[in-house]
Amino acid sequence: MQTKNTTKVPRRRFFKWGVGVISGAMGLGYLGLAGSYLWPPPENTEPLEKVGSVKDFPQGIPTMVSYQGVGVKEGVYVTNLGNGNWLALDFHCTHLNCPVAWSQSSKKYFCPCHGGIYDINGNVLGGPPPHPLPRRVIQQQGDNVMVGGRLT
Amino acid sequence: MKKWLDERLQFSTLIASMFEHPVPKPSSFMDYLGFATFFIFLSQAITGILLATAYIPSATDAWESIKNLEATPVGHFVRSIHSWGANFMIVLVLFHLLRVFYEAAYKKPRELTWLLGVILLIGTIGLSFTGYLLPWDQQGYWASTVGTAMAAYVPLIGEFVVRVMRNGSEVTGATLTRFYSVHMLLLTVLILIAFAPHFFFVLRQGMSATDELTAAKRRGENIETRSMPFWPNVAWRMMLTLLLVGIALWVAATLAPKGLGDPADPLNKNQYIPQPAWYFFGVYQLLKYFPPKLDPLAMVGLPAIAIIVLVGLPWFDRNPSRFPRQRPIALAVATLLVAGMAYLTYQGFRSVPKALVTTTVTQPSYKRDIDPIFQNKCVMCHGNSGNYHLDTYAGVTMKNVIPGNPNDSVLVKKITGVMQPQMPLGQKPLSSGQIQTIKNWIQDGAKNN
Ligand code: FES
Repeated sequence: MQTKNTTKVPRRRFFKWGVGVISGAMGLGYLGLAGSYLWPPPENTEPLEKVGSVKDFPQGIPTMVSYQGVGVKEGVYVTNLGNGNWLALDFHCTHLNCPVAWSQSSKKYFCPCHGGIYDINGNVLGGPPPHPLPRRVIQQQGDNVMVGGRLT
Repeated sequence: MKKWLDERLQFSTLIASMFEHPVPKPSSFMDYLGFATFFIFLSQAITGILLATAYIPSATDAWESIKNLEATPVGHFVRSIHSWGANFMIVLVLFHLLRVFYEAAYKKPRELTWLLGVILLIGTIGLSFTGYLLPWDQQGYWASTVGTAMAAYVPLIGEFVVRVMRNGSEVTGATLTRFYSVHMLLLTVLILIAFAPHFFFVLRQGMSATDELTAAKRRGENIETRSMPFWPNVAWRMMLTLLLVGIALWVAATLAPKGLGDPADPLNKNQYIPQPAWYFFGVYQLLKYFPPKLDPLAMVGLPAIAIIVLVGLPWFDRNPSRFPRQRPIALAVATLLVAGMAYLTYQGFRSVPKALVTTTVTQPSYKRDIDPIFQNKCVMCHGNSGNYHLDTYAGVTMKNVIPGNPNDSVLVKKITGVMQPQMPLGQKPLSSGQIQTIKNWIQDGAKNN
């Protein structure tokens, strides 16, 4: 009897551990699967897209263009800074992502939600936004103005 | 049938343990709120399954599919019930929570029931948040954009969390399918998993209101006169409550059918001003009062504290008493919080852009005609944080208004554009009717009427 018992206990302990280890491993497997499946696409992998020709953008006046993203159009303000220099700003306010609008009469961007104000370069002039407007990749290729993903 | 089940499952003891406990007289309708919430959940499940047969979860088709659904009276009605049901569920779950708090029913031995309740509350809020985006209209699109943007204020991982929620850096079709799956499956399953033990514990332990009675019974006292049986007396009262809630829901859906706004426009060409669902008005309003530096506190800190307090309440509150008189601090703090939240929600309501009259009012009153214009169009900038406040009568008339002389008033010059830059900045100007209304009011003496 004595000998039987001593051999049995480690066996049971092995089973207990086994149940824990197997369920843990299977759980982790599915968790990992879900994690990698739901992982968001890496930033700034959007392709360059033509948003207009040089003549569409009068110098010094931000113009709103749309960039065809995944299933939706994305709002981008493009400014021709002259001498082949360009600036592309994402139109989502950095406070809580409301859409900002350029006001030509006051030469500023305004956010309708909590009164965020930005200058033409997207720097914060007032209100709650914590950062400048996000910049996006922009290139002039010949006569074409091309916009890409967000610069981080 | 009963016998058949009994042979196999000892059914009648099970039923007896669930239904045959005595309930103190009088039994309060407030104790049925949890049950009513569950009823609304069932209604949401039924209407949700129906809606899923017509809804197409894609950025290009979602709005259209709802539009088509609205074309049939039954389809429209089912959608209205679902949408109203969401509001009912939030309200009932909150009242249920308050009632349980007031009754101190979260205390020993019911800590786990409370904890599961907190999970159910969070699940309910999650359901309404994710459901809001699904019609893919302007309101839902921008509310979801702003709502997910809040997560960016979580230290260190904030930006990443936003991208996980949106499945990218903006709210797109990929966000929609993600929300759809979370709304229909993840949260619903989570709620069911948490609900089963939540409900089981209540059956097992009885409501806290029955404790006294049970103790008396154990002491061998006769409780006949001060109690009534759960089955069928209380059950009947519960069904009546459900009937009332059900009627209210159907009547609301009939009288105020749920509309569908303009389709989501991520470019926001019509300069729609984002606004949250009403149950987030409190937070929405709080943000306006908080100086920008404290934004992370309002957006992440306070919700986190709220969750910690809710989860830990049975352990934080060490006062064993259940009588309201003996819990002055707990009740005072809770009353203060509820009053504060109610006030903020009310203020949020007031300042949310509503459909304003755009035509001229000849004898305008400040409260009825003028204040709403300012609240809708101006206080986002000229509220508590600007130099010129347009949110109170005193603020409006402090300067820039010359009673009896609209054309020389700076306020009028600003909104007409005579003085640049024209207000509201970066937005569409006020309609000529609205401008004339303001002029008329100043002409009449800019009275506080
Ligand atoms: S979202 Fe722009 S100021 Fe708040």
